[in-house]
Amino acid sequence: MGMQGTWTAGALLCLSLKALAAVPVVGVSWSNFQEERWKTDETAMKAELGRLGAGYVSADAGGSPEKQLADIESLLAKGAKVLVILAMDKDAIAPALAKARARKVPVLAYDRLIESPEVFYLTFDNREVGRLQAAAVLAVRPKGRYVMIKGSAADPNSDFLRAGQQDALAEAVRRGDVQIVAEEYTDGWKPEVAQKNLEQILTRTKGQVDAVVAANDGTAGGAIAALAGRGLKGVPVSGQDADHAALNRIALGTQTVSVWKDSRLLAREAATAAVQLANGQKVQGAAPWAGGERKVSLPAKFLAPVAITQANLDQVITAGWVSKAVVCKGVDPAKAPAACK
Amino acid sequence: MSGATQRLAVMAAVLVAIATGFHLLTGSFLTAENLSNLVQQTAVVGIVASGMALVIVARQIDLAVGSLLGAVGVLMAWLQYTHGWGVPAALAAGLAFALVIGLCQGALSAVVGLPSFVVTLGGLVSLRGVAFLIADGKTQPISDPGLLALGGGMDGTLGEGWSWVAGLVLVAVCVGWQAAQRQAQRHAGLAPRSLAREALQASLTALGVLGAVAVFNAYRIEGQEQGQGLPLPLLVWGAVVLALSFVARHTRFGRYVYAIGGNPDAARLAGIPVRRVLIQLNLLLAALVALAAVVAMARLNAGTNSMGTGMELTVIAAAVIGGVSLAGGSGSVAGTVLGALIIQSIDSGLLLTDVGIGWRMVVLGQVLVAAVVFDRVVQR
Repeated sequence: MGMQGTWTAGALLCLSLKALAAVPVVGVSWSNFQEERWKTDETAMKAELGRLGAGYVSADAGGSPEKQLADIESLLAKGAKVLVILAMDKDAIAPALAKARARKVPVLAYDRLIESPEVFYLTFDNREVGRLQAAAVLAVRPKGRYVMIKGSAADPNSDFLRAGQQDALAEAVRRGDVQIVAEEYTDGWKPEVAQKNLEQILTRTKGQVDAVVAANDGTAGGAIAALAGRGLKGVPVSGQDADHAALNRIALGTQTVSVWKDSRLLAREAATAAVQLANGQKVQGAAPWAGGERKVSLPAKFLAPVAITQANLDQVITAGWVSKAVVCKGVDPAKAPAACK
Repeated sequence: MSGATQRLAVMAAVLVAIATGFHLLTGSFLTAENLSNLVQQTAVVGIVASGMALVIVARQIDLAVGSLLGAVGVLMAWLQYTHGWGVPAALAAGLAFALVIGLCQGALSAVVGLPSFVVTLGGLVSLRGVAFLIADGKTQPISDPGLLALGGGMDGTLGEGWSWVAGLVLVAVCVGWQAAQRQAQRHAGLAPRSLAREALQASLTALGVLGAVAVFNAYRIEGQEQGQGLPLPLLVWGAVVLALSFVARHTRFGRYVYAIGGNPDAARLAGIPVRRVLIQLNLLLAALVALAAVVAMARLNAGTNSMGTGMELTVIAAAVIGGVSLAGGSGSVAGTVLGALIIQSIDSGLLLTDVGIGWRMVVLGQVLVAAVVFDRVVQR
């Protein structure tokens, strides 16, 4: 082997070292896999990390904040160069943050806020969800008497949503075009509670309701049942989550809009951001944000949710979120939206 | 008046007071529309509570009814929506599932001897999980018009004409029953009540039933040609209450239930098949839960995994407010109707007054306690 061979070997070594630096191991600490949706997130995140050539180590805290602390220590011990944390308890996670800081390992707060200045926060914009819900209803019914069916009073997201809805309606309310005649929290986000609440609101207002802004698809289902029970047709109703049943209702024309937060998109964005953080690069689209409880300023990125209506119903189908057969079940071909033709 | 009748009268007075109070506050409580809402909102709890009354009378408890309702409801909707089953087959499968659960829970408490509180507490948690697992937590819409009608709403009522027919049939049955009772008393050598009292009771029954029909017929939805009439959930609930009242008071099974509740040891020594009766009781309640699940699912137009969450406590509260003693041995099926209506009246009435959710829960809890305290004071 001559001089040239040695050079080639050296160059290869350099290349692979460089490659090693660029493909960090990402440590992901999940809070609780018993909830259905996080499995979807994990699958998408793993696939995206694989595509980027990064490693994936993970642990599931099974709903215990204490176990999550131990999980994070073991992820660090396994050589994680960046941590993605779905915090079970946003305050009890502090000791883990201190350990990460000592090792200069960056932390990404996934979907749930961890309010600490060095943390990078990635989530869907809940206030924007509320804005989209109200805007879609307003587009159909620019004037009239509105009812707000809110989420659970125990969930802070309910108020973020309500604030966003107000953003979208404020101008119309000021002009006097829109009147908010009633609003009610929905205990535990339960559809049957939303149904009973709207039934009583309809009695109170003598059926004079022109639009219903409901916080998610479950409460929307209850609201639609209440409207049908009183023979009110064509009242626009909003929702959220792109539940299969709700997408079917949109195709049938009984629900106006469902705001869709594709958790697979969130997972892919998290994978990209985690790799960038580990390499000390800036995350695209990040900006300082201080909207949390304690007003701590931290870098954050908010993904835009999508309002799904009859007009863009095909989006959820082409994205592989749900099959056409499910969305278009029982839809009359004569009145079917484009996505069902 | 006997103690039990007096108790019912007191509870009826409490209900009237609550209704009048809310009407004065809101001006819309005692309207045909709200009363129609109210009975439809109460029917699901009422159906289960009538069976729960007998379970508590026999010194048992069932905490799993809410979760079982959720699991059965999702199962029936899932078989129809995701698997394309016909309505009768899906409902039969739901009933079969409920009966199997009832049999298991009944056997564990009656044969193995575990306290029913513990057995059904396990059911409360596990069956909620089953409700989630069946359809992966996804909402299962239902669309069969005949099934949806069972949930009430605009197309789920008898209409004016048939409501009068149903009312008259009910009055005829009640009066006929009264006459049969009178005949039986005479046969047994007892002195029957005076004819004037019999006539008074018969006319009160007729007035109550036909008055109710008139109220429900008065509710007319805009654009409809005639009044709504009796909602189907009310009919189902009424049939269940009449049937169970009869079973409780006039069958051997019913007398066994009260005997077991009064003194289980004495009942066993007297040769009553305690285990068999307790298992039958569990099966009866499970069947009622399946029936209530059909109504709940039809009312919501879908089966969801949250259906019936927390319902067990409302059901037990309805039975207790209706005069069923938690110590066992006493209480009536008819009382649960008043208990369930009182609870739902407070909840629905507060919604009409636009009180926030926090205060609504505070008031609801305290009025429930007050109703029972009031009852105790009057009893003394």
